[in-house]
Amino acid sequence: MTKSPRLFQNLILLAFALYALVPVYLVFLAAIRSEADLFSGPLTLSWPINLGNFARIWNEAGFATYFMNSVITAVSVTILVLLTAPLAGFAFAKLRFPGKEILFALFLAGLVVPAPSVIVALYGNLQALGLIDNRIGVILPQAALLMPFSVFMMRTVIQDVPDELIEAAVMDGAGLLKLFLTIVVPVVKPGLMSLGLITFLFAWQEYLLPLVVFQTESLKPLTVGAASLQGRYGVDYGGIAAAGLIAFAPLVVLFLAMQRSFVRGLTAGAVK
Amino acid sequence: MLTTRSAYLFLLPSLALYLLFVGLPILQVFGFSFFAWDNGIAGEFIGLANYSRLLSDAVFWTALWHNGIWVVLTLAFPLLAGLVIAAILADRNANVVRWLGAVYFIPRTIPLVVAGIIWGWIYNPIFGLLNFGLEAVGLGGLGGAWLAQESTALLSLNVVGAWTFFGFCVIIYLAAIQSIDPALYEAASIDGASWWRKFRDLTVPLLRGSTLFLGLYAAIEAMRFFDLVWVTTQGGPGYATEVLTTHIYKTFFLVGDFGYAATLSVVLLIIVLAISAGAFTLLRKP
Repeated sequence: MTKSPRLFQNLILLAFALYALVPVYLVFLAAIRSEADLFSGPLTLSWPINLGNFARIWNEAGFATYFMNSVITAVSVTILVLLTAPLAGFAFAKLRFPGKEILFALFLAGLVVPAPSVIVALYGNLQALGLIDNRIGVILPQAALLMPFSVFMMRTVIQDVPDELIEAAVMDGAGLLKLFLTIVVPVVKPGLMSLGLITFLFAWQEYLLPLVVFQTESLKPLTVGAASLQGRYGVDYGGIAAAGLIAFAPLVVLFLAMQRSFVRGLTAGAVK
Repeated sequence: MLTTRSAYLFLLPSLALYLLFVGLPILQVFGFSFFAWDNGIAGEFIGLANYSRLLSDAVFWTALWHNGIWVVLTLAFPLLAGLVIAAILADRNANVVRWLGAVYFIPRTIPLVVAGIIWGWIYNPIFGLLNFGLEAVGLGGLGGAWLAQESTALLSLNVVGAWTFFGFCVIIYLAAIQSIDPALYEAASIDGASWWRKFRDLTVPLLRGSTLFLGLYAAIEAMRFFDLVWVTTQGGPGYATEVLTTHIYKTFFLVGDFGYAATLSVVLLIIVLAISAGAFTLLRKP
């Protein structure tokens, strides 16, 4: 390859790296600067790092609570999905039963259902069930909305389990559930890990459901808290930046630490 | 493969959850759309009256137009960027690929609500970095109130949408490129094919499946996105960034017109199902 296309390619890679990172860097910068030098000085890190914004947001603006709520909701949704979707994925991948195609198509259709289009009826149902302003009212619908993707992904993952393993276990007279737990689950552990990570990411990012379901301040997650901060703390930019950072830093760290697992999950649905 | 009725027991937990909180509401929304509503209580059956209202609802058509623009822009920019970046990365060493892949994907991990706040600052007419940067390079005249003026609001938001999406395209395309037989590229190199020839005649056609998948994904997301608009412009200024989901939200929670909100929801559902049916037909074709 000649030199000049390579240089041009490097410029493209660099330009998009800046596009991705500059906004993140700006938030970081705004969060660790004191009110006084927020809009002054060069866009370089200044020492000492000022943690005042974090302390104020965490203690006074309720972000300690928002954070805990995000953890509780996202973890609950993840556990619920991990307990249910792999079972269905196993049935679709390895079992034969009447109505299989129709049931699978039913799940497939759910892949594209927009949450805002079910909210009109879902809201009334949650009200009738007494689940408005209740964590369960976010956790169950959230898990349900993630179910089509999760079942689809688990089916793809479990299809790769060798049939011989399953047949051998059946020969030994193992029950289906025991077979699933002792043969399938150990083989697809990496897949379960990926599913867990992606579910956690989506659940943490969710905005619409908690926005309409929670009224009590002490139940709201980070996404709702950060959005409302914009109105309440209109000019406290350092505070809002710190809040934004608290809302996404755990996801960035989780992604960077578990990149391989994330990517495996993201591509499992795409590459057949 | 085992034939067994206990398969239903394996399906039961996820199916029950899915039908109760997604399936049932969809059926109800269909039902709601045929009634007049008063204060959250179903009134008389009015047939298709809610649907004929769509024809004269200018906000609905504006919103639909904006979703359409969003579909086209998303298909054009992030997908193309993802494809080109992935093709460039394909012949770099593994560490570069891993690190840059991560960098490009980071915006996707940021909740859209937070992305909206961050970019709201960048676009801020008074202290925003965009106007500041334009001024620094002598283009201050191009600056403006990006999200607050009708001519630029939707496009400015789309740049944010693309920001959160192109890294996902990079990752999907990269995985697909890495599964292409390297012998094909070696053969092309021996024939003296340029980078561009290999990109056009090998990479692009061989990635057709991924392009269709990403195209479908992008189109669906473009029809159903909500958070980003809601936290930045709430559909404004005027109706400059109104989309179907914000129209539904306002009609339901602010106006309280359950019947018409349900009708809009049905239209949205039909559109996304039609898009996916079309894409699946294309995917089936070899």
